[in-house]
Amino acid sequence: MPASEFGQLQRRLGAGKVLLRPSECSSYRYDAIQFGVRPLAVVLPETVEDVVQAVRAAQAAGVPVVGRGAASGLSGGAAPAQPGLVVSFTRMTALRILPQQREAVAQAGVVTLAVSEAARLHGLTYPPDPASLRTSTIGGNLGENAGGPLCFKYGVTGDYVRALQVVDADGEIHHLTRDAYDLAGLMIGSEGTLGLITEATLRLVPPARHTLTLQASFGSLEACAAAVSTAISAGTVPAKLEFMDAACIGAVEDYLHLGLPRHAAALLLVDSDGDDPAQVEAELKVVEEAFRAAGGEVRRARDAQEAAALWQARRSVSPALGRIRPARMNEDIAVPRSRLPQVVAEIQALAEPYGFPLVQFGHIGDGNLHPNILFDPRRDDPEQVHELAHRIAQVALRHGGVLSGEHGIGSMKRAFMAEAVDTQTAAAYWAIKDTLDPAGRLNPEKLLPPRGALATGPEVAHAGA
Amino acid sequence: MAHAIDACVHCGFCLPACPTYALLGDEMDSPRGRIVLMKEVLEGELALEDAVPHLDRCLGCQGCVTACPSGVPYGELITGFRGWSEPQRQRPLLQKARRTALLRVLPSPQLFYAAATLGQHAKPLSPLMPALLKPALDLLPRRVPRRNRLQPFFPAEGPIRGRVALLAGCAQQTLAPNFNEATIRVLTRNGFEVVVPAGQGCCGAAALHTGERDLALRQVKQNLQAFGGENYTAIISNAAGCGAGLKEYPVVVRGQPEEAQAQALAAQVQDISEFLGGLLDRGELRPTLPASQPLRVAYHDACHLAHAQGIRREPRELLRWIGGIEVLEVPRGDLCCGSAGTYNIEQPELAAQLGQLKAAHILSVQPDLIASGNIGCHTQIASHTRERGSAVRVMHTVEILDLAYRGEL
Repeated sequence: MPASEFGQLQRRLGAGKVLLRPSECSSYRYDAIQFGVRPLAVVLPETVEDVVQAVRAAQAAGVPVVGRGAASGLSGGAAPAQPGLVVSFTRMTALRILPQQREAVAQAGVVTLAVSEAARLHGLTYPPDPASLRTSTIGGNLGENAGGPLCFKYGVTGDYVRALQVVDADGEIHHLTRDAYDLAGLMIGSEGTLGLITEATLRLVPPARHTLTLQASFGSLEACAAAVSTAISAGTVPAKLEFMDAACIGAVEDYLHLGLPRHAAALLLVDSDGDDPAQVEAELKVVEEAFRAAGGEVRRARDAQEAAALWQARRSVSPALGRIRPARMNEDIAVPRSRLPQVVAEIQALAEPYGFPLVQFGHIGDGNLHPNILFDPRRDDPEQVHELAHRIAQVALRHGGVLSGEHGIGSMKRAFMAEAVDTQTAAAYWAIKDTLDPAGRLNPEKLLPPRGALATGPEVAHAGA
Repeated sequence: MAHAIDACVHCGFCLPACPTYALLGDEMDSPRGRIVLMKEVLEGELALEDAVPHLDRCLGCQGCVTACPSGVPYGELITGFRGWSEPQRQRPLLQKARRTALLRVLPSPQLFYAAATLGQHAKPLSPLMPALLKPALDLLPRRVPRRNRLQPFFPAEGPIRGRVALLAGCAQQTLAPNFNEATIRVLTRNGFEVVVPAGQGCCGAAALHTGERDLALRQVKQNLQAFGGENYTAIISNAAGCGAGLKEYPVVVRGQPEEAQAQALAAQVQDISEFLGGLLDRGELRPTLPASQPLRVAYHDACHLAHAQGIRREPRELLRWIGGIEVLEVPRGDLCCGSAGTYNIEQPELAAQLGQLKAAHILSVQPDLIASGNIGCHTQIASHTRERGSAVRVMHTVEILDLAYRGEL
């Protein structure tokens, strides 16, 4: 019986570490996009041994285990699909910086920003910068293989992993590295469906010495997308290259009052960085010229403070959309850059007949777009929302893109997975899942296309980047 | 409340801004968690008594309001919920008695003075006192200053530039009478007549934020009477919590006959640093003498100034303007010091942990002086820096200005 197993677990670990009351458990059923079902119990482990005990208790009770960081994820990854045990890592926050090795050893609950802050004291930095970096945890970032603006130049979370400590479905502890079979790599982005990441050894790098920031506004989305293509074709690799459309500009302007150009159809934010100031300046010049040629109005940030404010604006886009409609269906498609102008326009046109406010923003530098359908669940038809979301996903696939650039699949995009991967690949996913979690107790109903629902969707074209 | 709850997109951006989440690391003691709990109680899915431990732990600091990109009016939400839920709650008898006593004694300068003087003598006995009284005693200063009744009117020095009314506050009249005296001196020196309207009372914030809506309403109506009837240049508050309270009046009496009157009053209310900062912006503030020696001043953002009223720039600029002052930023300055009205008394453990954390953060920048704009923070910070063996003085921003005007800084 689950209740007695978890009651015992509470007696073993202490009342503070195991939550059983409905009011407590209720708070662990959502992430930043979705509400799942109320867990039967919640464990707040402080050590890897606590995690082992928790996993074994769930095994004995025969119920699922869902890992959870700060639940700031945007795919439903941490929202339980079935009643079970939630393991919340927010109290596993030990962090060591090893400056000689240029490494950080972080427990799963360490807040993303804390890694960079600690590394900075040693003249190092940790580049992955998801918008929620003040809230999100390393464990959650690894589970979803989170990206961020800096990933265009510096790569995503997974690119900084040297080793992982993982607790498997049986409660065994493993130390996985990137050697031989890259089992650490297998865990990255697996959304807790193959094991629970309890600690990560992360690569740190020296930060660039100079950074310049500019903002450019455009009269149309097409002009904006074309400007990006031109700048990148010219050989520039900006540290960040971010895009937001008119609705996003309005929503963050309401929040931060920065004086953003409300009347523009699109806004780009660009960081160029490097150790040589002349080179940084030269790169930004090329970008500037490309943007102007496309009709952009370009303005450089006056100082670091203004640059910081602009980036805060960008990080706030997603939650600030709540000002427009209370709910949203968010997508996280990544398409070849060359297809961007067309993709942005197609999605725009697709949405119009539905009548929902549709906004687009994202890490346009690497073709990672976040089309968001905004709606009011009390007034709007969820079927319509889902249908539009599906068709947007199909646009991405048709242009040779993928469903998730950085948020993960979770439960939000799981329905589209059957179309996104071919039958053989899906079978390989399931073979791995069945090997590592034969009882199917690790975060069920996430990420993997449902068995037997494979490759019934439209033809998937493969376009070159 | 429904619109406020719906506005939350549960993104979690509020988590790092929440003091109790920082201490406890669990979701139900975070703003996002509390919003979900309130929603479930209101929808009948959760029993009120299951949710209240977590809702009671909320300081009402509104750090989450600053952090929220979606504009959720969390302050209104928790206040509304407390007002709705309090009458339905069963509290233990002793707790109930303490609450009633607190909400009766705090707003009355006479009663508070008597209690503080009595408490001062009992202070050495604090370790022997029941847990119910100990936190209150620990916060009292070693010496309660002599009581000083305020005159009803203070004339301006030099040509008259305006006429302001002063909200004298409750506890601070006893604990720190110099706050009002310094405020009056700085205002009159700048050419403002200061009126201390008779019949004014507690602003009502303490009652409102603890869910005692009827008491709060009575207090609000009393002040509408006391401050109404004249158009002042401004109604000045020098306690962040009270100023925020006055500005909240239109929400308290929403839909009642007093609403227009409350709006008129709220429009006149300014914190002393906001008012003086405005004069400074317009180049109308009379110059002070500079500090006699370079001073490192750690400025502490009171939650009800920074988060509730959005006042951050003015006090810092006023301090810098004095000359010879370097304003130091406190690490994690957005986090509440744990004082928060009656929180200190009702949640002594969390309040103490936050006080210790705040003292450590403030002292880490090695200030010569600590400035803040709220009596609650003042008492809390003084008590916890003292506990760490620090002799650094804690002063109200306006006290520092006052000293500078007198050439005594």
